[in-house]
Amino acid sequence: MNTLSPIKPQASSLPGDALATDASGRPVLIGCICKSCGNRMFPFAPVCPVCMSEDVAREPMPREGALYSFTVVHVGPTTWEKPFAVGYVDLSNGVRVFSHLRGSELQIGQPVELAIAEIGKNAEGAAIITSVFQQEKA
Amino acid sequence: MTMRGVSVIGVGMIPFGKYPERKLSDLGWPAVKAAIADARIEPRQIQAAYCGTALGGMMAGQRVLGRIGLTGIPITNVENACSSSSSAFRQGVMAIQTGQYDAVLVIGVEKLSKFGGGTLPLEKEDWEVSQGLSMPALYAMRAQRYMHDFGLTREQLALVSVKNRRHGSLNHDAQMRKPVTLDEVLMSRPIADPFTLLQCCPTGDGAAAAILCATSSARQFRSDPVQVIASDVTSGKYVTGFRDMTIPEITVRGAKEAYEEAGVGPRDIDVAEVHDAFSIAELLYYEAFGFCEHGAAGRFIESGATTFGGKIVVNPSGGLLAKGHPVGATGAAQVVEVVRQLRGEAGARQVKDAKIGLTHATGGGISGFDHGVCSIHIFAR
Repeated sequence: MNTLSPIKPQASSLPGDALATDASGRPVLIGCICKSCGNRMFPFAPVCPVCMSEDVAREPMPREGALYSFTVVHVGPTTWEKPFAVGYVDLSNGVRVFSHLRGSELQIGQPVELAIAEIGKNAEGAAIITSVFQQEKA
Repeated sequence: MTMRGVSVIGVGMIPFGKYPERKLSDLGWPAVKAAIADARIEPRQIQAAYCGTALGGMMAGQRVLGRIGLTGIPITNVENACSSSSSAFRQGVMAIQTGQYDAVLVIGVEKLSKFGGGTLPLEKEDWEVSQGLSMPALYAMRAQRYMHDFGLTREQLALVSVKNRRHGSLNHDAQMRKPVTLDEVLMSRPIADPFTLLQCCPTGDGAAAAILCATSSARQFRSDPVQVIASDVTSGKYVTGFRDMTIPEITVRGAKEAYEEAGVGPRDIDVAEVHDAFSIAELLYYEAFGFCEHGAAGRFIESGATTFGGKIVVNPSGGLLAKGHPVGATGAAQVVEVVRQLRGEAGARQVKDAKIGLTHATGGGISGFDHGVCSIHIFAR
């Protein structure tokens, strides 16, 4: 964790402590692990939903995962730049993350990696720049 | 403890639709009066009321019943998202089963037109909602994965809307009365891939009510009471890891519990009102209820098994897709439909010789759950 620096994106829709950069400057999501039962989660939660332990520690999540399912959404709040792709990404540590996606040829099962992108504008018109998962470059 | 039998003796609803000029209370009381008249019960014989609403605000039951002076009795308001009034119905069933009361009223009421359209407003404190999750997006991801895993075609998926709009065209209480073709469904505007507009339930307003009493005294009121032979409410299981989105675990589990309680199985069901908020949902529920095998729902609807004359008629009312989905009113309105079907009062959409029917309402798009709640009731004449 010492090698990680927090990212404070402008008008982020993520809580300030959910996103950081690693030693190589790449974005990384910070979730947590329950020290009692080993259950992992994203985002951080102060109590474990498996064993109720409050001995929960922050932990970086793997930057890569597999796209479990996704959809391209054409309606919804003005916040999001439409159409926008969202999906569930299954990480190698067993955690499933809901996220905005980037990529022109999204497919179920394909490998995706974490990146930073603008996904919309908040009520004040400021860009929302936050984490997304994108198709891994071939 | 010996549980008493429970029967439905009266039902009523207002046609679902958009009533922006009407207050919630004025949507609700006509449904209650209709149920009271249908039950042939004296209002003073109703000992308690349970009112389901998701977004109707505080004291919805008191606001509705105050209009017609049905007050001074215990009135309990129940919020459980789209299962609000089916959860309220469960409260009414339990109150009679245990002998607490002999006759109770259940109401479902909702006014979504106050939000001016668009997707259902979800809890912003929820993590996934704050990241852009909406109900169409959630169901769309189920559909995409199901299509990927089982080869379901866009046409098979769209057939759900064609069938339910055809059913709804036979129902005076339905919000959408016009039948649609497969092409019209596929060519309507995109909402969340693979869904087009006609594969998403409309938003609207509505109210429905039912009167329950102990089966032992039901024939004092009507000669054709409908018995409640299973009443089940459960919550989803919170999971932080992977889950199979092609299997609605909460409904699979709820269906098993309900079948056990009723002592019946999928082959015994003649008519089912299930939670078709989006086209894929109805297909997943064919499988969850055991009407067909996992992965076979596309071929099952194509065969005509779930429309009039088929093996099991699903959503004869038009379902959420055609009858409409004023969320808190949906569960109670499903009860109205199944009771009318079992009494043989459903007119042009009557399921021939229906003896056993079920209702099913799920609720909630929140992180970690496949659904927050699922409520299933089974009825027999």
